[in-house]
Amino acid sequence: MTIVADSATFLPVTLPELVDPARIVSGGLRGDREAITDGTTSLTWQQYVDQIAQLAAALVNMGVCPGDRVAIRMPKSVASFVAVHAVLRSGAVMVPIDPLAPMAHAVAVLDDSGAKVLVAHARTRGLQNIVDSSSIATLVLPTASDPPTFEGSVRVVAQDEVASAMPVDAVEVGADEPAYVIYTSGSTGRPKGIVHTHASAMAYASTAAAEYGLTHDDRLANIAPLHFDQSTFELYAAAIAGAAVLVVPDPVMRFPASLSEMISEQRISVWYSVPYLLEQLSTRGALADRNLTALRWVLYGGEAFPPGQLATLMRQLPGATFSNVYGPAEVNQVTVHHLTEPPEGDSVPIGRPWTGATLRIVDPDDPGVVVSAGEPGVLWVSSPTMMSHYWNLPDLTDRAIVFERDTAGTEVRWYVTGDLVVERADGALVFLGRVDNQVKLRGHRIELEAVDVVLNDIAAVSEATAVVHRPSDADHELVALVVPADAASDTHADFEKVIIGTLRDRLPRAAVPNSVVVVKSLPRTGTGKIDRGASGRLFEAMEHES
Amino acid sequence: MRHEETGAQGMSDVPSADDGFIEALTAFIADDVAQEEAPIDGATDLLLTGLVDSLGVVMIVIWIEAQLDITIDPGDVVLENFQTIDQMASYLRSR
Repeated sequence: MTIVADSATFLPVTLPELVDPARIVSGGLRGDREAITDGTTSLTWQQYVDQIAQLAAALVNMGVCPGDRVAIRMPKSVASFVAVHAVLRSGAVMVPIDPLAPMAHAVAVLDDSGAKVLVAHARTRGLQNIVDSSSIATLVLPTASDPPTFEGSVRVVAQDEVASAMPVDAVEVGADEPAYVIYTSGSTGRPKGIVHTHASAMAYASTAAAEYGLTHDDRLANIAPLHFDQSTFELYAAAIAGAAVLVVPDPVMRFPASLSEMISEQRISVWYSVPYLLEQLSTRGALADRNLTALRWVLYGGEAFPPGQLATLMRQLPGATFSNVYGPAEVNQVTVHHLTEPPEGDSVPIGRPWTGATLRIVDPDDPGVVVSAGEPGVLWVSSPTMMSHYWNLPDLTDRAIVFERDTAGTEVRWYVTGDLVVERADGALVFLGRVDNQVKLRGHRIELEAVDVVLNDIAAVSEATAVVHRPSDADHELVALVVPADAASDTHADFEKVIIGTLRDRLPRAAVPNSVVVVKSLPRTGTGKIDRGASGRLFEAMEHES
Repeated sequence: MRHEETGAQGMSDVPSADDGFIEALTAFIADDVAQEEAPIDGATDLLLTGLVDSLGVVMIVIWIEAQLDITIDPGDVVLENFQTIDQMASYLRSR
């Protein structure tokens, strides 16, 4: 499979070049064809490229310089995609923020990244609070024709000012310069920024476009929010191929039957999401009543898809190829396992390395030793799709990245994933688990230590730990095991509400436990630390008895 | 799987989607589903505001099914029927 290439003289090497007017001239993008829609607004490639250039010009006019960080906090929409490409086109480093995350998280990301400009949607909750609590100097509201007033000294740039910005020349950026920073929750509770360069983003986008054979005729559904790295598929891989994107609005995502209707009406051909949304589609999406014959490829990643549920969905969508995609956000995608038949057995492999990725499985106790065939070990990855570093965290970067010289003397960088894998006899890798306390729930990366930090900060809590409850017949969920500071607290109906309320104020919502269970004490390890494994078993035993 | 009680009209202990039910539904959403404390009335957009996430939608559907002893067809669980409490009420009355 090949992608439709531009004329040989114009191959984009940075992200702004993907949506440059020159690609319309060269035929890489078809100016009169639909580029993007969210079901309400629709733009052709010509309109999309023009809007991106206009907002980029406004950013440059207001003083944004190459390398500056510009944050985006917008609900998924055509406008949010325009904002991403415009920030990149201005030469700035794009920092997406979850619009549904608590204010404390948004402010932590703004402070850590040092962003002075925030592109936002005027009507999102908490915007005034964020402006008050951060060092944001300029608020850009590209869709606001009648912007609300904001207290304080923040400068507000609304729709009319964006529209009247003088055009500027394209800003040149180097391929090895940072393009965007995606934040995940760090284990200390401080957000951890993963920095991708134009080169690493383009390596992912071009490999993905080739791997899945994207063309002008494809229509991709964007399911993942901007702060989740899966969205780079629709943001950049689609643009390389000139494929159209449907940005599925958040409210639609909560209704599987509405979602399936939209996918059908929009004749979506390629889908990429976490398994959770596909499970929802399978069980509650009324798929029998929908025409989804245009859907040729379904990619899932972020966590394991229970094979039984995957098999059910594959029988519901017999025309589609399914692929299990693997790769931490630090390296984008690095392995893939294609399925043409419903899976058998109790696990689906994460597959083989895709083009350009080199893998190594290392002894967990001795990083110098590569394990023998069939032995489990820690996965190391070397790939052009790899991040350059963690933002402002040199020590963490040093621990995560190992430098080596190959036989030719060329420097090779390895990312130590912390994922335990084993290679099957047929060469496909199987994911076994983590070497640390990072878990995935509905595709979100959660560091259990970060939840513990917040739990133990609460005055009403004596001690606490977060564990994952994995019932066989329902979704996995996060449970907080809590010893109250006041033994009588467990009789208060409000106790759980106080705990959950505090967690919601401080953690991204995927990291907020679904329930609080009061216990008299927590098991300890030999060194006196709370024993998470034993705590988990304690909880499962309590569940079993009740 | 529960089945719809076709004889429900004759059973006085099975509630209908009357004003009292809507009041209880509003309290349930405000107390147990909403992601933060916020005033909620019949016209509040529960979705654009992010008050109700996808798990919240499932909780609401299960709660309504249990309270009214009905089964809601998955094809009816669409945006237009669940964006606001008023829309839920008019959907439940029309079915």
